[in-house]
Amino acid sequence: MDEHFQFVGGSETSETGQKNPSAIKISHLSLGYRDNPQALIDISLDIPERAVTAIIGASGCGKSTLLRCLNRMNDLIDGVNYDGQILFDGEDILDSRTNVTTLRRQIGMVFQRPNPFPKSIFENVAYGLKLSGVKSRRILEELVEQALRSAALWDEVKDRLYDSALKLSLGQQQRLVIARAIALKPKVLLLDEPASSLDPISTLRIEELIYELKHSFTIIIVTHNMQQAARVSDFTAFMNGGRLIEFGLTENIFTFPTSRETEDYITGRYG
Amino acid sequence: MSEANKKFLSSTHRQLTGSRLERLRSLAMIGLSASMVTTIILISSGLFLLLVTSALSWLIGGSGPEGANWSTKLYSLVFTGSDLGNGISAVFPAIFGTLALVILMTVFVAPLGVATALYLTEYARPTWYTKLIRISITNLAGVPAIIYGVFGLGFFVYGLGGQVDQLFFSDQLPNPTFGTPGLLWAALTMALLNLPIVIVAVTEGLDALPSDLREASVALGATQGETVFKAVLPAAMPSVFTGLILATARTAGEVAPLLLVGAVKFAPSLPFSERLPFIELEQKFMHVGFQLFDAVLFNRVDPGDLGWIASVALVLVLLISSLNLIAIAVRALVLGRQEVANPF
Amino acid sequence: MNQADRPRVHISAQFNAELEGVRNDLMTMGGLVESQIEHAIESALDGDSARAEVAIELDIEVNELERSIDEQCTRILVLRQPAAGDLRLVLAIIKVTNDLERIGDEAVKIGRQAIELSEGGALEGASARVRDLSRSVNSILKDALDSFARLQVSDAATIILRDDDIDEAYSEAKNWVKSEIKARPETLEASLAYLGILKSLERVGDHAVNIAEQVIFLTRGVDVRHLDTLTVRDLVS
Repeated sequence: MDEHFQFVGGSETSETGQKNPSAIKISHLSLGYRDNPQALIDISLDIPERAVTAIIGASGCGKSTLLRCLNRMNDLIDGVNYDGQILFDGEDILDSRTNVTTLRRQIGMVFQRPNPFPKSIFENVAYGLKLSGVKSRRILEELVEQALRSAALWDEVKDRLYDSALKLSLGQQQRLVIARAIALKPKVLLLDEPASSLDPISTLRIEELIYELKHSFTIIIVTHNMQQAARVSDFTAFMNGGRLIEFGLTENIFTFPTSRETEDYITGRYG
Repeated sequence: MSEANKKFLSSTHRQLTGSRLERLRSLAMIGLSASMVTTIILISSGLFLLLVTSALSWLIGGSGPEGANWSTKLYSLVFTGSDLGNGISAVFPAIFGTLALVILMTVFVAPLGVATALYLTEYARPTWYTKLIRISITNLAGVPAIIYGVFGLGFFVYGLGGQVDQLFFSDQLPNPTFGTPGLLWAALTMALLNLPIVIVAVTEGLDALPSDLREASVALGATQGETVFKAVLPAAMPSVFTGLILATARTAGEVAPLLLVGAVKFAPSLPFSERLPFIELEQKFMHVGFQLFDAVLFNRVDPGDLGWIASVALVLVLLISSLNLIAIAVRALVLGRQEVANPF
Repeated sequence: MNQADRPRVHISAQFNAELEGVRNDLMTMGGLVESQIEHAIESALDGDSARAEVAIELDIEVNELERSIDEQCTRILVLRQPAAGDLRLVLAIIKVTNDLERIGDEAVKIGRQAIELSEGGALEGASARVRDLSRSVNSILKDALDSFARLQVSDAATIILRDDDIDEAYSEAKNWVKSEIKARPETLEASLAYLGILKSLERVGDHAVNIAEQVIFLTRGVDVRHLDTLTVRDLVS
């Protein structure tokens, strides 16, 4: 009369020793806003440094909301209130005294649809740099080139840096906004479904890029594409109904999840 | 053939006829709209041609002082005027006055209109009273221009002007300096007139911008102010220009309010001086639209003068067209690099 | 079938059906090889070569099923990209299929030996040992297949232990046959045949253990192949 599955191997949860130190420690985070008073419920999670952590879950489970807490983008929502603590660099970023503009330069974000400014390619990448006070033209050019190289876009645009960014293909635009974000050399990069509006080849390119970038940045990616999460991430967090259900090494989550809810979601059984 | 089959066939037959009917109907619609458009084009080009031919015929032949050929007439038309007979004045001062009015009006309406639009879309929370403000602005665009003229006369000319006179030019009283219609008050009045148009145009442009533009800017560490002025406004520049183009056209063409606040049939001098601030704001000025209006309504017009009137009308049309073309060219130049995200 | 662990079904009814289908085919294959072994052993004990033929014939069907199951599993892997439990199930099925096919081959070997014996003579002592060993092996095979069908780990663990007994019994029987050959050399042919049958039975036992190991992998996520039995018992309890 036996048992449900019961994993006896080791899974790298945030409680049992992780190899990577934590870049961000989330403690008992809860969040609500007018249309959804329980968007996030008591989430505690340690994000490992210099690794890719994927957050997966059904639509509306709160994964994008969680991501946006990390760079205080949720402040833009009307009537938002939150509880709990998020430690980054030893400080709680949810504190009202935190300087959010500085925070956002250290935790960059890339959105679902490529959204370059209607300016030239150069101006796009330089936007954040100029805001943070870089004035010298020479330094700007150098930093822009660096960022474009890191985003695997330099060779394709080096001869037309002053053309409008909107002339690029979608896949190139998405790499451009990644360059724009990493130009500021943030510590953490937040990717909100970065490939969901791209064709499969461009998607694979972005995934390759993520694989490169994780050596320099801590990356957190929200995706509804499970195969992508499996391909690209080292750690995976599964969320449902605003709660964190499970977190661990990606290969463990996908071969032997400990929670029935996780198993059901991953295998496509949704009662 | 059975009853059922007959019925079936007749119904499909109806359908076939029906679809033929449909096709006929759509052809008729296309034909109708095509003919309407053609008619409008024909009428407007016909009118334009009429103007042109009248003007040319007056220039080349027709009435005028003895011994005048077309070049002297043209010269008189533009610069001296008086040689041409009763009460006909030169066109050049009117052109100058119109341009001065347009520029001054733009200086006033642009910052005010853009700032209002920015405030309404970027800063104010969408509550019931911002909605009310927006509706009121739209309504203001429909207020007849003469009302603005009356308001301008009361508020600017007598109200503000009177105060300025009392404070700064009391030694000149009872001769009014600013307390009388003039270029400044006219420009302000026209600015008010065009304000709703500019606000609406810019607001439309701002509303059309995708919200992730602002999000992208904020995510890069920009404050609200930096986002508005470095990302949002530059992206909405096309609509700013559109609003200004509309305002320009209206200013050059709208005559009624100017009757009250500063345009005259004949001004002794150009509102222009050689010392600071290079422009005489309290002077009355001439305006092409006004000149036309005056010529038609208040002059006893000889049949021969119709040509002159046509010429002035032509000047007006050409003036407005050139102003528009210049504005469009400026817009294209400034935005050439942008590949506009918002073509509004 | 598995009330305890699969109350919910896939959103894709098609996927569900595919998994059920391949599972059922596996159970069918299991039944077939069980009966193959039965027929082969009985024919060895009775000298009934007709039953041996039946056992050998059944192998055609068994091999066909093996091909079919492998094809279905490949299809599921490539089209459905299964994860977690489904993935482990498919991997386990592929491995178990392999073991079942080998069992079938052993049955065929037993059948062939039985045919030889039916022409020669039967040996009482050897026959008895074959009977005893075959009882243990049949039971362990049946239980292994049952534990896979019901995903019962506790049974799977004991199977591994019971195989130790089987190995011992085999050892003893082998020694007896060897001494028999020395004592009565005229029985060499028959004795060798019995030896072959005993060896095949022992191998069937090992295959049954493999199946049990897959059950543990499926339910516990631990690969216990090649571990000694004490470690396995600790891991599983």
